[in-house]
Amino acid sequence: MFFKEKTGRYYIFTIIFAFLVGALFLLNLSLGSVPVPLKEVYRVVLHQPVDNTTFQAVIWKIRLPRSLATLFGGAALATGGLLLQIFFRNPIVGPYVLGISSGATLLVALVMLTSLSVGLTLHPFALSMAAFLGALLVMILVLAVANRVRNVVTLLVVGLMMGYLCSAVSSILIALAEKEKVHGFVLWTLGSFSGFTWDELVVLMGLSGPLLLCSLLLCKPLNAFLLGEDYARSMGVNIRCFRVAIVMLASALAGLVTAFAGPVAFIGLAVPHMARLSLGTSDNRALLPATILLGATVASLCDLVARMALSPVELPISAITSFFGAPIVIGLLLKRRTAL
Amino acid sequence: MKVLQACDLAVGYGTRTVVNDINLDALKGQFICLLGPNGSGKSTILRCLAGLLAPLRGSVYLKGNQLYTLGPGDLARTMAVVLMERLSPGLLTAFEVVAMGRYPYTDFWGHLTEKDRCKTQEALRLVNGENLATRYFAELSDGEKQKVMLARALAQEPELIILDEPTTHLDVKHRLEVMAILRQLTREKGITVILSLHEIDLALKSCAIAMLVKEGKILACGPPEEVLDEDTVTELYDIDSAYFSDCLGGMELRNNGGTLVYVLGGAGSGARVYRMLSKHGFGVVTGVIHENDVDYHVGKAIGATLIEEQPFEEIGDSSFERAVELIRRAARVIDAGFPVGSLNLRNLDLIRLVLAQGRTVYTLRGKRETEELYGEAGSRFIHCHSLGDLLEKLTSNAHATG
Repeated sequence: MFFKEKTGRYYIFTIIFAFLVGALFLLNLSLGSVPVPLKEVYRVVLHQPVDNTTFQAVIWKIRLPRSLATLFGGAALATGGLLLQIFFRNPIVGPYVLGISSGATLLVALVMLTSLSVGLTLHPFALSMAAFLGALLVMILVLAVANRVRNVVTLLVVGLMMGYLCSAVSSILIALAEKEKVHGFVLWTLGSFSGFTWDELVVLMGLSGPLLLCSLLLCKPLNAFLLGEDYARSMGVNIRCFRVAIVMLASALAGLVTAFAGPVAFIGLAVPHMARLSLGTSDNRALLPATILLGATVASLCDLVARMALSPVELPISAITSFFGAPIVIGLLLKRRTAL
Repeated sequence: MKVLQACDLAVGYGTRTVVNDINLDALKGQFICLLGPNGSGKSTILRCLAGLLAPLRGSVYLKGNQLYTLGPGDLARTMAVVLMERLSPGLLTAFEVVAMGRYPYTDFWGHLTEKDRCKTQEALRLVNGENLATRYFAELSDGEKQKVMLARALAQEPELIILDEPTTHLDVKHRLEVMAILRQLTREKGITVILSLHEIDLALKSCAIAMLVKEGKILACGPPEEVLDEDTVTELYDIDSAYFSDCLGGMELRNNGGTLVYVLGGAGSGARVYRMLSKHGFGVVTGVIHENDVDYHVGKAIGATLIEEQPFEEIGDSSFERAVELIRRAARVIDAGFPVGSLNLRNLDLIRLVLAQGRTVYTLRGKRETEELYGEAGSRFIHCHSLGDLLEKLTSNAHATG
């Protein structure tokens, strides 16, 4: 029976992705300006006595939080992208399509570029809080609209317009800001997982973990939604709740990553395609777990390249994701001539 | 038993009412069809009956319960829909799309049990689509997709299926296949089917109740044999250029006149000749023809000038004289090769008369047959072995003489 063959393929790919996640995670811990042998990595992580205290510091203070953040960040972005691709039934949609990143960027611009923060000591969390608040505000606006419009395409356009509005204000702020501040801001907008602290990591993992689980729980209605909103409703999906759930989940996942790592491009758009085309199915019961794993894989790989390619200069991760991701997606699409 | 009941229903969007005063009782196993021009509101009515659109006024009852108070799961187990929108569900096989119909029955994860798989296969079998199961939905043809969507609706094990123009975009084979499947479902499984159609002939031949929708009103609702007469259909679609014949159950394009051609037909020999002549811009006169003859109905639907005779009567003097008069005015005379019997013997006299006047007659009969029928005069025919040949000879002669 073909069902069995197909599920076999799902398992194989899921296992491959899981293996890749593990391998890249270890590589991320081991490679860097101070290379740590893999054997030492094990010892450090497992709290066994190590001779070299530098190894311990590098891994525990820098690489472990960064690698874990990359895993969760990649998974969250990819899942957010997949959710919205299904919701809008549009393959070129990413997690930022509802204006989440623009909202976050706007508030970060307000904090970084204006004199609003003058006089306040900048708490390390201030930027993250600002970014998350921005994402949240946009999400609430989009949700308010989602309850009014009948058509999801209208919602999509509203999201896009919201993004343009926020970007417009941000660009005005850039024009008016001092040069030195602009440089820092532009670097932030390129996205990076560097400098992740354990405090930040705990928030990221503590929130994105449950959110990812929640998305997994939505597999069944998500599948029904592949046939469109009307069919989904006729099969018993509560559309009103489902809409809110999807928009909230996707926005929260994307907003969370943006808050700590800035807008990381492309993972949310490309990874769902890579997962779908390698598994050969849109069935979310197989696709969602694969997307989560593949998102973590791709983010880890890109972060590794960003750190190592021109070391000691660190490249923006968004550049790496797009640079390698775009050709892969095009290649996969050309190989398989089926519409997405 | 009333499966679906609509009472004084008004449907529309926002403040705009599309159709008013809809009353409908759909019984178990009934085949109900909505007819009407594009934009008349058929789809809006169907969406409302399916619970996808809230009514502006009035109410819909599904098996006695208010449709909009039912939980989505209960609704899904009673009613399934096939919509007009084109789907692009990504990389799903036809089987997976059909299995989606099991949604209201599967567990939290949507896991298919052995029973669900059986029901899915069964649904595919009912639409003759077992061979499609492993193919990606996106790779199927329009007709195959429609069958798969129908199977998906069946997998939902509904008592009522609502379909919005299920035959649009389909070729003749799939169109008839889909209608045959639906009819079989109503008869064998007692499923009630409500659909909208554009093909009046299909509606007439398949449904139990026809509802005619035009300009926000229900023109008529009842058995198609009663409501679909010639005038109603013409009114429904505002057709000038064609004519609906309820006896033939189909449309004929109107004859707009032109070079007058007299056709002697009968028993179906004339119908194809009329259509061909009419299509190529000739005016058609035909007779003498009995009112119970199929050629009479086709000729009437096309709008040919008819010289008719009472059913089962021999051709009388008055109609014979009218025929002689019209033949005199016609530019060409065609013998369509009608069967000769005691009731239409005088049609042979008409042809002999034409020949006696020295005019030529085009005939679709063979040489030997004309000689047997007309003797010596049989040689003055222009023999045509097919309709195409006839047309060629008619037009070339028209150029030669005209």
